Amino acid sequence: MQTVRELKFEQPSLFKRLKGMLGVDFYRLFHTPLLYIFLLIAALIPALVSMGSMGGDGETAGMFTNAWQIIAANKPLYVVSDIGDYANMNMVFIFGGIMISIFIGHDYKSGYVKQLFTTHAKKEDYMISKSLLGAFSMLGMCVTYFIGGVLSGVFTGLSFSINAGSLVCAILGKMIMSLGWASLYTFINVIFRSKFGISIALCFFLGTGIPVIGAAAVVGNTPALNIFLYGSSVYACLSANVLSLFICLMNSVVWAVVYNVLGTLILNKRDCY
Amino acid sequence: MNAIEIRNLSKSFRGMYAVDNLNMTVPQGAIYGFIGENGSGKSTTEKLICGHLVPDGGEIKLFGKSHSDAGVRVRVGALIENAGCFPNSSVRANLMMQALNLGLENREEEIKRVLKIVRMEDNARIKFKSCSLGMKQRIGIAMALLGDPALLILDEPINGLDTDGMKIMREILVDITQNLGCTVLISSHILGELEKIATHYGIIRQGKMIQELSAEEMDARSRVFVSLKTSDMQRSAAVLKDMFYNVKQEDGCLRVYDVDDTEKIVSCLMKNGLGVCEIKKNKIGLEEYYVELMSNKEVI
Repeated sequence: MQTVRELKFEQPSLFKRLKGMLGVDFYRLFHTPLLYIFLLIAALIPALVSMGSMGGDGETAGMFTNAWQIIAANKPLYVVSDIGDYANMNMVFIFGGIMISIFIGHDYKSGYVKQLFTTHAKKEDYMISKSLLGAFSMLGMCVTYFIGGVLSGVFTGLSFSINAGSLVCAILGKMIMSLGWASLYTFINVIFRSKFGISIALCFFLGTGIPVIGAAAVVGNTPALNIFLYGSSVYACLSANVLSLFICLMNSVVWAVVYNVLGTLILNKRDCY
Repeated sequence: MNAIEIRNLSKSFRGMYAVDNLNMTVPQGAIYGFIGENGSGKSTTEKLICGHLVPDGGEIKLFGKSHSDAGVRVRVGALIENAGCFPNSSVRANLMMQALNLGLENREEEIKRVLKIVRMEDNARIKFKSCSLGMKQRIGIAMALLGDPALLILDEPINGLDTDGMKIMREILVDITQNLGCTVLISSHILGELEKIATHYGIIRQGKMIQELSAEEMDARSRVFVSLKTSDMQRSAAVLKDMFYNVKQEDGCLRVYDVDDTEKIVSCLMKNGLGVCEIKKNKIGLEEYYVELMSNKEVI
């Protein structure tokens, strides 16, 4: 004899829905080697960069005059004249793009995304969860990059003299930018899904800031470029102040909202799997 | 209340309709056998119900609510095409992720419970990629059973299962519908197995539902027949054809359709000096009913 039970369907709040989705994502993040590999890469890169700045005789070749330049450039230079202006904590946004592409690509490749979309009718849950996860991972990479940068500075004997407030603003600015970057990468990945080779290439291209650097070569070193994610990331430099921090915050949040809305629209309009 | 109610559902891929104005009704608490040829639109329909695909048109209601209702969808368990697990993670880790996804509080107990149901308690630590096809199917079912699903959507769940696995699956499905009131939509090509558990059937062809019926209706429509083997099959056929309307020689047996009076058949043959080696009453099963329905090209 069949039992026809009385069913009650509670409407889960956004918080409850996100708790579930974030729970899966963070469990996966901490129980697979991907994050740890990228944290290690982020820590090693400053050492490689500072070693590259040394001359054959073991002395600095002039690329960096101060250890904190491994973390951020002295001034917001969008037109890159040498690798020293470029090789800083902004590289975390390149690693972050690759990591997010692999993470989301495996969601689709394994078919696990079916489980997520079966139980989560609201597609924004996926976008928000992945954006937050990506931002968290890049924050972690910023921390390991900072540690690696400091240790590299110690070993290369560079000066550590700096305006502490500007340094804090620069680091916090870059950390805040992680949210915007993570949202962009999540958006790219919901377009290309299991074809994460394309996502990696595109994330790498955007993460290196080539479009903004290219634009800067045409329009010059203008603050207008701060409206882009890469522009604001460069703006968080060693001459940063509270205003720079505010610009980074506004820019990151606005772009995060834009990419999350666009990504949700794509997920709602296109077949998920 | 119906667990699933679909009206005029359509879905096309590059101009070809995989699901074409489909109507479907799955009563709450039913085990609904969803039958159709390969490419008839079964998996597409299931994916549309689960929200994996965006329909071109039509309406899907689950328990009287829109299928995009977050409250309903969190109570849907699905196994479509494959288990959707991470190959390098262990069975337990995959189940843990699904338990987290569903927001379950008692995750460890739930994982133990479902692993026990699918009889995989001893395999929790092995990597998903190391599991056999049958084991992967069982894990997929365990994932779908996590929490308190009100609706299970299972696409070919008995593919790859051994005889024991099929028996377990039957027991699970009957148990969850009878004791927990869960509704099950199950598609399978193994119609013999489906016949043992399904309470309702839906037959789909070229994306259209050509027939929906309950197991009782199916039973009422099934033709009875007597199958027999005699000492001289050719002569027996000729003798029986004089007396009965529909006699056919199939699979090495004589079949006398729409008759269940074995005594009349035996006495008729004996009068003509023919010995009966074997005789039994029978009924056309789901498989034959389906084949017959499919052979009728006009039924769309």
